[in-house]
Amino acid sequence: MAKYLGKKIAFYVILVAVWQVVAMADIWPNTIFPSPSEVAEDLAYGAADGSLFYGIATSMWRLIVGLSIAIAGGVVLGIFMARVEIVNQTIGSLVLGLQSIPSIAWVPIAILWFGLTDSGIIFVTAIGAIFAVTINTYTGVKNIDPNYIAAARNMGAKGSQLVTYVLIPAAFPYMISGFKQGWAFAWRGVIGAELLFSFLGLGFLLNVGRQLNDVSQVIAIMIVIMGMGILIDGFVFKRIENKVMYRWGLR
Amino acid sequence: MTKLEAKNIVKNFGHNGYKLKALDNVNLKIEDGDFVCLVGPSGCGKSTFLRIVAGLDTPDGGEILFDGKPVTSTGPERILVFQEGALFPWLKVRDNVEFGLKIAGIPKDEREQISNRYLEMMQLTKFANSYTFQLSTGMKQRVAIARALAMDPDVLLMDEPFASLDAQTRDLLLVELQLIWEKTKKTIVFVTHNVAEAVVLGNKVIVMKHRPTSVKKEISIDYKRPRLTEDENLLKFQKEIISELRPEVTEKSSSE
Repeated sequence: MAKYLGKKIAFYVILVAVWQVVAMADIWPNTIFPSPSEVAEDLAYGAADGSLFYGIATSMWRLIVGLSIAIAGGVVLGIFMARVEIVNQTIGSLVLGLQSIPSIAWVPIAILWFGLTDSGIIFVTAIGAIFAVTINTYTGVKNIDPNYIAAARNMGAKGSQLVTYVLIPAAFPYMISGFKQGWAFAWRGVIGAELLFSFLGLGFLLNVGRQLNDVSQVIAIMIVIMGMGILIDGFVFKRIENKVMYRWGLR
Repeated sequence: MTKLEAKNIVKNFGHNGYKLKALDNVNLKIEDGDFVCLVGPSGCGKSTFLRIVAGLDTPDGGEILFDGKPVTSTGPERILVFQEGALFPWLKVRDNVEFGLKIAGIPKDEREQISNRYLEMMQLTKFANSYTFQLSTGMKQRVAIARALAMDPDVLLMDEPFASLDAQTRDLLLVELQLIWEKTKKTIVFVTHNVAEAVVLGNKVIVMKHRPTSVKKEISIDYKRPRLTEDENLLKFQKEIISELRPEVTEKSSSE
């Protein structure tokens, strides 16, 4: 990755430069196509008055709570589906169906159930992520080498010990992809829900930008959303994934 | 004293309504401290038998007696070493060796003492903190044996543990296993399709029939240890076993 770092930086510098040149050519008015310096100004302004950081913190907090619920619930559900056939045949089929519902489609029911509250947004976040975690956990547990389970049983592991010491670590390479997918769904879910709930967070700031006809704020927030995505993917999930892959000798 | 006894063990495998009889009245007795090799054509149900002894599979008929008591589930006194080792890739070598001890709730320092002893015995001390992917196949099988020994079982059940090793590594481990057996006085039941391996290891070699599998013949091998694969004096035992085995293998190939 470091090998391409220079090229990567060059790419973004050129991208911003082209953007600046196009903006300066005045093809469109800057209320429709702002220049990067205007967007940067907006970012600086948001950072200075703290609203940007408050927005990030709010969205992150909702993401963390929602994703934690999704991971905890999804792992338990996935393991049950993999180990108990009746659960797989019943709840499992429902999970596949529910997975096809986009998280945004849960917003109306979330508003009806929870009102315009944090809990509503967290609900949308969690439900958007839980099925990806469930399905990947299920696949992971199903694909465990049966000899691992046999060896562990032979050495006395049963019940919850079998789950914590064998099923979860053995399925972890699959589970981590589930977490990654789940996180991506959850992040989309948070922002989407915040847009519609219009109740604090980055999604709310996007909405404010639109209402003020402030294109540079909208673009600035979009860049922040993207940046947070890259950051979390690279610093949290990529690291865990690399560590797991290394241990298993898959990399 | 009889350590293990198999009485009329029957095992069927069902497949789309088609029933395959894998084990048909397997009867055998294994004495305490004995080193017994089960030899038979590959796919004859030797591994199934071993899994039944370990308690990982249940027979459709008959019973296994351990110290005179029927076996109903897995137990730390009967530990199986798998063909491919079945080591846990998410654990370091040391944690693999300590797995069963951890499950049993043995405290950390005590676990460490035990694992140190067996890591040293299997010449793995240097690799205690490695992950399994960093080891050669031979090393992995050493870890698998160390992990089994750490459980301090009465009986060590070995399911073709050396089948995927290269010849040199296998020869080395064949000698080591004899030394371990002499040192630990464990009862060992070793399943293999390799006749040379069986005569090097076993005090007793039990020849199994082809499906449905039962005991065909028991051959005692009285010869000094440690035995080496290239020892010509072992050839006569090999010949005797091969002459028992040949009709079984022929039957296997004609039935397939």
